[in-house]
Amino acid sequence: MARHVVLYVVVHQPRRLKLPAQPIPPGARPRDIARCLFDEELNRHYFQKAASNCYHPATALFRRLADEGLCLSIGFSFSILRQAQAWDQELMARFQDLVAHPNVELVGVEPYHSFIPLIDLPHFVKRMQWARDNLHKIFGQRPQVTDTTEMMMSDAIYVALEKAGFRGALMDGRPWVMEWREPSHIYHGCGNLKLLTRHTRLSDDVGYRFSNRGWSGWPLMADAYAHWIKETAGDVVLLAWDYETFGEHHARETGIFEFLAHLPGELSKRGVDFLTPSQALDLYADRAYHLPLPPWGCTWAGEGGLEFFLGNASQQAGFRLMLSAYNKALLTGNKTLIDLALWLAQSDNLHTIQWDGRSGSEAEVSAYFTPGEWWQKLGAGGILREMQQVYANFLKAMDCLP
Amino acid sequence: MTPDNSVFLVLSFEGPDKYSMAGGLGMRVTQLSHALAKKGFPTHLLFVGDPHMPARDYRMGGRLLLHRWCQWVSQYYPTGVYEGEEAKLYDFNESLPHFILEQIARPAFSAGKLLVVLGEEWHTAELMCRLSDLLHDEGLRNRAVLFWNANNTMSFHRINWGRLAFTNTITTVSKYMKHLMWDLGVNAHVIPNGIPSAVLQKVDEGDVARVRNCLKKDLILCKVARWDPDKGWNAALEATAALKRAGLKVVLLARGGIEPHGQEVLHNASRLGLRVSDAWAGAEGREACLSAIARAADSDVVNIRSHLDLDSLRVLYRASHAVLANSGREPFGLVGLEAMASGGVAFTGATGEDYAIHKRNCVVHETGGSWEIVSNLLYLQDHPEEAERMRRAARHSARLFTWEKVVENLVSKVEQHARNQGSLTGIARAEPKALETRVLVAAGRAA
Repeated sequence: MARHVVLYVVVHQPRRLKLPAQPIPPGARPRDIARCLFDEELNRHYFQKAASNCYHPATALFRRLADEGLCLSIGFSFSILRQAQAWDQELMARFQDLVAHPNVELVGVEPYHSFIPLIDLPHFVKRMQWARDNLHKIFGQRPQVTDTTEMMMSDAIYVALEKAGFRGALMDGRPWVMEWREPSHIYHGCGNLKLLTRHTRLSDDVGYRFSNRGWSGWPLMADAYAHWIKETAGDVVLLAWDYETFGEHHARETGIFEFLAHLPGELSKRGVDFLTPSQALDLYADRAYHLPLPPWGCTWAGEGGLEFFLGNASQQAGFRLMLSAYNKALLTGNKTLIDLALWLAQSDNLHTIQWDGRSGSEAEVSAYFTPGEWWQKLGAGGILREMQQVYANFLKAMDCLP
Repeated sequence: MTPDNSVFLVLSFEGPDKYSMAGGLGMRVTQLSHALAKKGFPTHLLFVGDPHMPARDYRMGGRLLLHRWCQWVSQYYPTGVYEGEEAKLYDFNESLPHFILEQIARPAFSAGKLLVVLGEEWHTAELMCRLSDLLHDEGLRNRAVLFWNANNTMSFHRINWGRLAFTNTITTVSKYMKHLMWDLGVNAHVIPNGIPSAVLQKVDEGDVARVRNCLKKDLILCKVARWDPDKGWNAALEATAALKRAGLKVVLLARGGIEPHGQEVLHNASRLGLRVSDAWAGAEGREACLSAIARAADSDVVNIRSHLDLDSLRVLYRASHAVLANSGREPFGLVGLEAMASGGVAFTGATGEDYAIHKRNCVVHETGGSWEIVSNLLYLQDHPEEAERMRRAARHSARLFTWEKVVENLVSKVEQHARNQGSLTGIARAEPKALETRVLVAAGRAA
């Protein structure tokens, strides 16, 4: 029976591509190239919507709960931080205030939420170190435990994270990865880096199923959920969600905020205490178990395999374009272009086209994350075509730099 | 509709900047927007402007506001308005609808005014549809009148006609165009093109005599057009050669463009036994132009390689025995109309012109063949009094097509549509004149 629970939330908004693809004038300066690649108006629109529905109310609630004893771990992509700094300074201050709370631990995230861990591991190591240093500058905390992008993990990513100097990492505890093991223990791979494995079912009960009226667990109440957690075999249950779960993926009207507000009390009643990831490692690292990591990688998205991002022909074409863009940018030696290529390598750009040729709940989730404006303007075929055109335009633009 | 209760917005790729002036469209929108502003209407002209000029530029005491759009794109395309056309088109379509809504439409509506948007040419077709959709989404569509105008058939295949016709009122510049567009399922309203009233000023007869005296020809022909097969250059040359063979001293004053067809035309001239000389005016202005032509007087074809300003053109039109506006296909022949306004004899093309009545105010060709040019010229040579009468009638006809008149026509059609779509309710109305005043005015007219 679990005695501890670790809550982790990750805050992220993508830097969406500009569709239909905007032609890039030959000789365009990097600033103007960026203007053609990314739709900042659309980004602002979605950011403001999420800020209103989720970021402001959820942050206020988490802050209050932290005062009451809730321990929280939180990760930020630099994609969301960039947007908050540009468009909502008040929110930025609220995030900083939340992270400054003694019960809150800052967790590292791949800064651009990109596929760099699949593309260039040495650079991934540097990016994670860069993220740690820059998170320290923004929040005054240097993360010891880290997430990646979409909680991707593999044997190779594990090695890179250890090399980057982290003490622990988060990964999804899918049954096909865990095999006979419970996700509610601390693990390690081939090195000393400790692994906290997300309890997939319990996390998804809230993350995906909370507002699903067709689900047998609906309506989910805090007492029932606390009971399930308490009844879980193991030491520590890691529950990990998108921050946007609260108010955005599940609207306020579903009762998600009330659920969250009551959860600490219900857990406390059952003798389940909160820990931050570092506290969990302090407590349980000595009896960490070995977990063989999949060489092909796993993620918290979809069924847990990278086929969620690379499973259809459009995604594979997109990934090849990401590779070309990144490697060609490396050849230019131009730091700004390399930076743009990293933005183009955001996992969201493949997440949003997972629906191509598929149906079912995963495709529905993917389609939900695809901006409605794109559906309206371009339709399915147009989205796929124009998305590829963005990369083609960028590749061509690098041929005629000023 | 009055200047107090309506605002005009003209949308076009071309505009008044040198950078933006590629063909007749730049001149059209410049003159149209000036005429609207001159009538007192607050007018915005939004175009692909020179990247090095101010983004906003007030003219005519603030009544005309130029918006230079796409400047950040244009800086990478220094040659002119149509370089990087697709990149500019993207910027136009994507960025303008919201700008127009927030910066032009809403302020106009807040002031109780009607917004009239005039989109020119295929480049603005998509934008006009999107603007209509956006206004509709905001519940403001019936407070604006949207006219989209075709000056020619260029890139018609890129227009979604069903959508455009549903969202906009489609206009064009001639009945010829209207009938062409019928095949697309569109019933366009005809609002003719215009000419500046300055073209109607009397041409200095001293200059006219000077041209005629220095050329010392029996017949002076003039042709100003792009080097384009549609423009009838070869027929003009064949006519010139035929007249020369008939023993007449004849010259063709030719001002073409930069198009490659010019090489073919000049080659044909040589093949037909015509002597061709280039005329370069070292400087701007009428004096330099006339001197350059005089230096090439021995030739059969004077290929004018310098820019011709309106002053010089008017002298040449007036001095010529025929201005060959003999295009095989002409949506609206401005050269013919300008020639008529200058007191010249226009020979218009086989597609017909709404302003042209054969042997009343000009010569209208039926076939586009060179024999028609020759026979009509010989007829007029034999009947100089007919030619003089036609020159007078031509100026009279041209007066109906000044921009002032065209704008009156345009405003009346806009008003008709505004009334039809219920846009006039709610806009500030002009004070009605007292009945007595109206009676007095009517009586004065009758007297």
